[in-house]
Amino acid sequence: MESRILKPLLGFYVGLFVLFLYGPFVVLTIISFQQGPEGGPQFPIIEWSTYWYRHIFGLTPPSRIAPLPVGEALMRSLILAFMTMVVSTVLGVMSAQAFRRKFKGSTVVFYLIVLGMMVPGVLTGLGTSLLANNVIGIERHWYTTAFATHVAYTFPFAFLVMLAILNRFDASVEEAAWSLGVDPWTTFRKVTFPLIFPGVLSAMLFAFTLSLDEFPRTLFASGRDQTLPLAIYGTFSVEIHPNIFAFGVLTTLFSFALLSVYGILMAMSVRRAKKAAMQEDIA
Amino acid sequence: MSDTLTIEKRQNATTRLLLAPGIIWMCLFLVAPILMIVYVSFWTQTTFTISPEPTLASWKQFFGSATYTGSLWTTIRIWLIVLTTTFLVGYPTALFVGLLIKSKTLSTILLVICVIPFWTSFLIRVLAWRPMLGKEGAVNIVLMKLGIIREPIEVLLFTELSVIIGMTQIYCVFMVGPIAFMLARIDRNIIEAARDLGAGFGRIFWKIIFPLSLPGVVVGSIFVSVMVLGEFATSGALSGRKVNLLGNIIVTQVGSLKWAMASVVGVILTVVIGIVIAGFLRIVDLKREL
Repeated sequence: MESRILKPLLGFYVGLFVLFLYGPFVVLTIISFQQGPEGGPQFPIIEWSTYWYRHIFGLTPPSRIAPLPVGEALMRSLILAFMTMVVSTVLGVMSAQAFRRKFKGSTVVFYLIVLGMMVPGVLTGLGTSLLANNVIGIERHWYTTAFATHVAYTFPFAFLVMLAILNRFDASVEEAAWSLGVDPWTTFRKVTFPLIFPGVLSAMLFAFTLSLDEFPRTLFASGRDQTLPLAIYGTFSVEIHPNIFAFGVLTTLFSFALLSVYGILMAMSVRRAKKAAMQEDIA
Repeated sequence: MSDTLTIEKRQNATTRLLLAPGIIWMCLFLVAPILMIVYVSFWTQTTFTISPEPTLASWKQFFGSATYTGSLWTTIRIWLIVLTTTFLVGYPTALFVGLLIKSKTLSTILLVICVIPFWTSFLIRVLAWRPMLGKEGAVNIVLMKLGIIREPIEVLLFTELSVIIGMTQIYCVFMVGPIAFMLARIDRNIIEAARDLGAGFGRIFWKIIFPLSLPGVVVGSIFVSVMVLGEFATSGALSGRKVNLLGNIIVTQVGSLKWAMASVVGVILTVVIGIVIAGFLRIVDLKREL
């Protein structure tokens, strides 16, 4: 009875909620088509144009508005995200694998790892740069100090994803392999890894996207060379132009492309698993 | 007997080997940096450098200055407000997604819809609030077109309000997810049984649904708290530097090479976050809920 009133009411509320979530992005997309170079980042739209998109790629005649310094920054961010993804996924799989057995001090280790996603980036970033500057005396770079903080941040996510996957994992297939005399490493490669691969993909996706968008840690722990979020942050202090919004639309589209690749890989691995299961049935 | 012992020993060695890289990484790049902040907060600050002679000068300076202590209270105030707003905005959505929708597909679609905005860069999502809230922004235009207001509302942008609105939108999904997850795990038979016994929705909600969703609320609150307490970009970009959180102070201090002061603020932020997380963990055992 109540649900007849409550459900539509809450449904309507959720509609408003989605509007609240998406409102800024809709406005951002609209303003990214503002006329340029005179049109500013506000309403009304003087005239619809793709000026600011062309501006990003340097296809517009030079004007007083400098192009976004994103070219090299994007490359750096992608490399950094890739490095972070590989290392934190490997660490995540290893630690989660260890957690399948009970061992002394597991609670301490668990919280030590989870701490990485709990401590705000401002603090790890500040601490790492203090350590690099004043104790070790090395220069900070995006591929050294910032990379270290990125992994300390994304590794817990990879770890938790793998922990969830391995908790539901049927260990009897491994035991079967062991009892046939297959050594643990080969068992892991040939039996365990293919079965947990969807989880590994999710862990990789988490690590990659978190690192790509990571900003406070990088702000403190990287040196002169900017990553993409730092380049965007740099525009905060100066006047904002719609080119930053156009860039936002483009990066979102890029993220969707990335998500599609993940979806395709996931579907492929599910299909392969099904095929293997079918062959087993036939045999 | 001795065989099982050697197997046991070998397995222990494997566990250690598997854990070592992760533990070492976290100690070097997470624990050591935090300890370093504590250590440096007692260093002596000269104009452009710091030296390890121990002193309480920076600590005295922090607690002696209204700007610094004020930023501590601002941080706590903004945190409490945003925690409340994300909860109030998020809980009904979680209730709908996690409990009221019967179709699994629809609830997955709704959750995906909630996550999609995260595919836009965090900083650009923050920046997108400027054309929303400005004097000639989208919110004012819509409200004026609807005839709800005559004059544009000017307090929307570059105030504490805009920081709260921005943070609520950016972080509320972290509240929705864990709560919806816990609500989806509730055994529907319990609710049916209560209804059969004549309990109204209000009673069912307060006696069954809400207590069972509490772990989700706590996990969501931990997420939101950690992120809001460590914030500085949203407050910087949407308040026009009027709202100074502890994070903002750290950034400006580092910018002017005042490492000792930045460290003092860092220690205070760590303590605040530690108290908050410990408080939440007293309500719920996080490891058991996973």
